[in-house]
Amino acid sequence: MASRKADLAVVGRDQPRLDGAHKLTGRSLFTDDVVLPGMLHAKIVRSPHARARILSIDTSAALALPGVKAVITHADAPKLYVGIEQPLFRQEIVNYIGDEVAAVAALDEATAAEAAALIKVEYEPLPALFTIQDATRPDAFLIHAKAKGNIAWQQAQDLGDVEQGFAGSAHVRTDTYTTNASHNCYAEFHVAIADWSLPDKLSMYTPTQTAILFQKSLAGALRLSDGQVRIMNLNTGGGFTGRTSVRPHHDVAAVLSRKTGRPVKVRATADEEFIACRAGGEVKYTFRTGVSDTGQIKAFEADITFDTGAYVESQMIVLTLTSSYIHSLYKIEASRYSGRLVHTNNIPYYFHHGGGLAQMAFGLGQHMDALARELGMDPIDFHLQNGVTKGHTSMTGTFFGSCGLAECIRKTAKQAGWKRKYGKLPPLKGIGIGVGAMASGAKGVFKHDTSAAFIKIVDDGSMSLFVGLPDMGQSSHTAMAMIAAEVLGAQATDITVISGDTDIVPLDVGALIQRGTFNTGNAVKAAALDARKQLEVLAAARLGVKPSQLVFRDRQVYPKGQPDKAIPLKKIVYDTLHSREGRFVMGRGFYNSPKESGTMAYSFGAQIAEVTIDPDTGFVTVDRIVASHDVGRAINPRIVEGQIDGQVFSGLSQVLYEQTLLENGQVMNPSRLDYRLPRSYEMPKVEHIIVESIDPFGPFGAKEVGEGPIVCTLPAVANAVANALGEPVNEMPITPWKILQILGRRAKARAGS
Amino acid sequence: MTRQLITLIVNGDRYQVPVAPHETLLDVIRDQVALTGTKRGCTSGACGVCTVQGEDGRAVLSCLALAIEWDNRPVTTIEGVAGEDELHPVQKAFLEYGAVQCGACTPGLIMTAKALLDENPDPDEEAINEALAGALCRCTGHIKVKIAVREAIKAMVADAAAEDSHGV
Repeated sequence: MASRKADLAVVGRDQPRLDGAHKLTGRSLFTDDVVLPGMLHAKIVRSPHARARILSIDTSAALALPGVKAVITHADAPKLYVGIEQPLFRQEIVNYIGDEVAAVAALDEATAAEAAALIKVEYEPLPALFTIQDATRPDAFLIHAKAKGNIAWQQAQDLGDVEQGFAGSAHVRTDTYTTNASHNCYAEFHVAIADWSLPDKLSMYTPTQTAILFQKSLAGALRLSDGQVRIMNLNTGGGFTGRTSVRPHHDVAAVLSRKTGRPVKVRATADEEFIACRAGGEVKYTFRTGVSDTGQIKAFEADITFDTGAYVESQMIVLTLTSSYIHSLYKIEASRYSGRLVHTNNIPYYFHHGGGLAQMAFGLGQHMDALARELGMDPIDFHLQNGVTKGHTSMTGTFFGSCGLAECIRKTAKQAGWKRKYGKLPPLKGIGIGVGAMASGAKGVFKHDTSAAFIKIVDDGSMSLFVGLPDMGQSSHTAMAMIAAEVLGAQATDITVISGDTDIVPLDVGALIQRGTFNTGNAVKAAALDARKQLEVLAAARLGVKPSQLVFRDRQVYPKGQPDKAIPLKKIVYDTLHSREGRFVMGRGFYNSPKESGTMAYSFGAQIAEVTIDPDTGFVTVDRIVASHDVGRAINPRIVEGQIDGQVFSGLSQVLYEQTLLENGQVMNPSRLDYRLPRSYEMPKVEHIIVESIDPFGPFGAKEVGEGPIVCTLPAVANAVANALGEPVNEMPITPWKILQILGRRAKARAGS
Repeated sequence: MTRQLITLIVNGDRYQVPVAPHETLLDVIRDQVALTGTKRGCTSGACGVCTVQGEDGRAVLSCLALAIEWDNRPVTTIEGVAGEDELHPVQKAFLEYGAVQCGACTPGLIMTAKALLDENPDPDEEAINEALAGALCRCTGHIKVKIAVREAIKAMVADAAAEDSHGV
């Protein structure tokens, strides 16, 4: 198979997304666009208290309202859990403002809302805990009896001789950082349509990053077999790591549909978006690093505490992710990790863009930058000296078959003019670098990390590719079609990608842990090769060569070096079917990492940000970002750029803008006007550098670009701010107010001296 | 609830629809006219996904417009933008320059950009920024959106010049 760039006909060329015209003309369907016959609309009744005892629930007035078809409370789903410990509805104690107490289904949304307001719930308010500090006091009450000390989950890891590493260090530095609650602000709100039919089968339309996890979660909660749950994810309006697990509204829709025998839609309102979904939360990080006098890292220690909110669903994954991150970026021989999830009476924590790692990188990147400065080293030299390289095997067992980290750092520094600018900019102007690494899929969610694919080719040469990988905007379906087209000598536009229905498509763990291009890409490649093998039989015989000598390219098949003998691909397909054998060409393939655990490939990146601080307003303007990313191979270069753009936006937005303001558990800014994101005019110029290290295990050498760039953006921007200000801001977001406080303190000190 | 019959003119087609006083243009376009390209977002004018064009070509946030006020007034939605055989230059540029990702905010962005260009065929950077400021998007970070809008302007200016030189 061709792997040199010049030999590739489809992969590596700009291909507009195949579903683009649909999306641009308003033809593409999202869950909220679906109307099923007899469909009801549901509303959820939520607790107005952060913690309270439910004294009584009176649903009679709601049930009496014309148009109301069902009201459900804890009594209707007593043993139904969302995740591991969150009962669908509360019976005795509510644990956060927004906790589900009841739900109602009615003929239309307005009636459902009216009925929800008629449900009378009497509460006895109870004291509540809102911060990590309060929740971990020795005398704090327990939010859940089984979580002693309000520690919901913890994880520790000791690799190598940490004490000796620190003892042997010439220099040890410790820093602490804090990040705050935020929100993903999906363009498509949380929504689900459940259609429970008999004999028991639940069909659900909903946006998701992983249909299989939704299927398994709903099947488990509702006591169905996996096959009795069908997930239909149409277009998904943004994922950002936040759509990887079932939320209560999915189960609410299912239970109401079962009870009424009709399809039921639940859709979050604008403020409910912020209550039903908290992405990220208060997180406290302490990093301690020991280095030799030449700047070699000798030991590293991280201690991280997450405010996980009222319930744990699958947030413990963040502990695994953050525990080993350091080893994917730097060569380290001794490390210690200690992480914990702490219960509070805040909204349950879930992931924001960057999956917990980008937020960690806000502190980690600043910590390493500060360490380099303290040693009198240029941060670039520090990253180059300690960064992982091709062929390295980390203490966590990761083998780096490809690594473009150094190339990313060097190229980015050169393009940004780092040497010319670092340390030489005028006051309140700054430049900073962020580096990062990201896994391309990993085992851990299940024992396998499998993606599978089918491909069928009909006798006019057109093809259908069946994959379970959702496309929530990252253009993965187009990339999958390009991979299949490359193998089969077709064009991407010859291929229809069929996805989003678990009754039809093969298994795929989903679009999470940045596994799509790598895992599903390898599965698609295998399926296409399988189909090609079936075509080679006839083509080889007709051309009088061995199958291995055939070239499939530009919708033709010919012997290597003899394009003049080409037979049209569709004729080979046609004749294969219209033969005595009557073979219908169907390829199948799957991919699972051969490793016991972890990932097969890491991607790498480096970004340099330049910022200007306005001394009067404290406002930080990001002037320029140079962003490089080692994607292994860019399957679709313009789309790779788009992935980098979105993550640069989301990264600088998290550093400088985004915060869900919580006051005693209440979201104070539950609207997209009050929750600030950068507007288009606030976005700087973004310059892309695509580095191709050609991974030995990736499809055509490709690795991820799903979250690698964002882990670089947060530290790059934070370090640029520190560089401009002359001191770091260790709490995210870095708001104008925090900067004004620093500038004001200095002005006061100057006036006083 | 009392409903009043109004005539909604969407993309040149007339629809007789009974509307309640509280129903928005967005509700009626999606739920009664059954055109779902216009997306429902925050329903409070903060995100821009529901943008349509009113009779004067201006961008209208359909979630903030009461349907009852749109009796007999023409509205253009995303479904009315493309020509019979080809995409509108703004749509073409969005596709070619990679300004479409998840697609949930895309119709609103297209309508916003089209409304801008219908009013001012050659807007400067500031005018583009001002027009796009009300449309939120995380996927693209607005970067390729702005590139696409600039490229669409170039293409439309070139098209207009070509038509002039052909004396059309």
